[in-house]
Amino acid sequence: MIQFLFKGILRDKSRSLLPVIIISIGVFLTIFMSGWMKGIFTDMIDLNAKFTTGHVKVMTQAYAENEKQLPNDLALMDANKWLSILQKENPEMEWVQRIHFGGLLDVPDSNGETRAQGPAIGKAIDLLSPNSHEANRMNITKSLVKGSLPSKNGQALISNEFAERFGVNVGDDITLFGSTMHGSMTFQTFKVSGTLNFGMSALDRGAIIIDISDAQQALDMLDVTSEILGYFNGDYNDNQAELIKTNFNNKYTKADDEYSPQMYKLTDQGGLKEMLMQAENMTSIMVFIFIVAMSIVLWNTGLLGGLRRYSEYGVRLALGEEKSHIYKTIIYEAIIIGSIGSIVGTIFGLSACFYLQENGIDFSDLMKNVDMMMPPVYRAIVTPDLFYIGFIPGLFAMTLGNALAGYSIYKRKTATLFKELEV
Amino acid sequence: MNIIQLNNLVKKYPVGNGEFTALNDINLNFKEGEFTGLVGPSGSGKTTLLNIIGSLDSPSYGSAIVMNKSIAELSHKEAAMLRNQHIGFIFQTYNLLPVYTVFENVEFPLLLQNKNATQRKNAVMEALEWVGLTDKIKSKPSMLSGGECQRVAIARAMVKKPQIVLADEPTANLDSKNSHHILQTMQKLNKELGVTFLFSTHDEKVMQYLNRLISLEDGKVISDTIKNA
Repeated sequence: MIQFLFKGILRDKSRSLLPVIIISIGVFLTIFMSGWMKGIFTDMIDLNAKFTTGHVKVMTQAYAENEKQLPNDLALMDANKWLSILQKENPEMEWVQRIHFGGLLDVPDSNGETRAQGPAIGKAIDLLSPNSHEANRMNITKSLVKGSLPSKNGQALISNEFAERFGVNVGDDITLFGSTMHGSMTFQTFKVSGTLNFGMSALDRGAIIIDISDAQQALDMLDVTSEILGYFNGDYNDNQAELIKTNFNNKYTKADDEYSPQMYKLTDQGGLKEMLMQAENMTSIMVFIFIVAMSIVLWNTGLLGGLRRYSEYGVRLALGEEKSHIYKTIIYEAIIIGSIGSIVGTIFGLSACFYLQENGIDFSDLMKNVDMMMPPVYRAIVTPDLFYIGFIPGLFAMTLGNALAGYSIYKRKTATLFKELEV
Repeated sequence: MNIIQLNNLVKKYPVGNGEFTALNDINLNFKEGEFTGLVGPSGSGKTTLLNIIGSLDSPSYGSAIVMNKSIAELSHKEAAMLRNQHIGFIFQTYNLLPVYTVFENVEFPLLLQNKNATQRKNAVMEALEWVGLTDKIKSKPSMLSGGECQRVAIARAMVKKPQIVLADEPTANLDSKNSHHILQTMQKLNKELGVTFLFSTHDEKVMQYLNRLISLEDGKVISDTIKNA
């Protein structure tokens, strides 16, 4: 019987083509939008993790409260001790120190007088240790426009946009005007080893990247760090991060000491948890809307198809087919058509997601004035759930639509139906 | 032996606030192998009577016993089973399934009986041989003439070898030549296989083939004539 139905579906295009197209489009959009939104959020989170939050981050409680102000006067003392503790207790993670600071970059002329000045965001990371992954993690190597990474103390990287604006070349000196962690002014001259294009407006307008040891010296922060970031070897694992955070905080965080360290996981920071929840909610709402919309359209398609096939149903009743069996075959047909549509939609949806995962769409021109740390290229991501996130709703919508359309046949008296079927 | 017994059969339909009596106190018996016609003008109750005998409808009062089964007492499933096993239908407009081939149309009742592929093929070819359409098995209904379509419909009705065939105005859409051809085919099947044929018709051509002629008017039997074979 299934073979018989299948032949009918293949031959009767008006029975199958429109529903297949509707389901394919619905499933395609569900998968594509879901994959793309996930990709954007994943990239955003990944970017934030690499630049700002880590997978987990240790700060003093006081620093954490005022983190946006980069309050290095509240930074974590005994940084090397805490680094050792963290590496010992969680050897599966990579732990790194970071110092964030702000200041003015002064560009001197040949006489050493100020030629130009501009504000800059400063980041100090481990650039000089041979085993450090920080340069790769922050995509510095690939972002180099001119020059090279610092190879010794006293060298700095600056943003290419800043360098071009003020005519700074590789090998030139620049002076950082800032304040130490104790509040006094500091002036430190660095040699520009290279210029960077981060692809993020916030950093491209003015940024300086120096080695952590240079920052500790310049900012009077010996054995002090703004924060210690922890990274898993692979992808972020929220459950494991929660476990590590809980263990650390239970052991070392003291409620009565605001300078004691406290660990935060990625989703605790910068509203990322809320953002992730919002992304999931938006995906759920989108899938729900598609199911409802597709069901209504398919219900109507089923009704129209049913009307067109009234004569066929009447004949089948007369030939001895039960109403319930006719209803069942309507559902079977819906499952077959729904499966075909869902498979087609899934293939196209996954293909589109894969293409955008590899290529992405560059929105950097539109984001020149955006201060948020957002990826300039929006990419989709192909995840295992995309294989069913559209397929199941597509199949469900088609089956529901036809079940509703066929219900009238199931509920009517045979004699009434036979008369209405105009046999 | 009576294959169909109708006793004091009444069928009423609700119309507005009142009722319309489609069949009024029908008492008829049909023997196995009869070739009988129900004649009468439109609205005389011919189709309603065929529907009740075919277990597509049930009497309001009285009884209709078909193959020793009371139609009024049959469940949906039992009624479908009766139609599936013992009753064949032929319609005025053929009602073939348009997307399926001749072979598949004739095969359909056997699919409902869960016959295996070999049984189905043999039975379908035999039925198409009866109506002379073995060369059209791969044709779709749209490729056939009206007469050929009706012959396919006869094959579909006969393929399960039913005891009763109910034909509702089977020649109404056919020309004279095709009508005679169809009627001769049905007459042959009636004689060779002993199938009981019950027609509703007002076609004079049909009447000359019938062994028994029952006239209906306003839901009542006004005459019941048995002709000599």
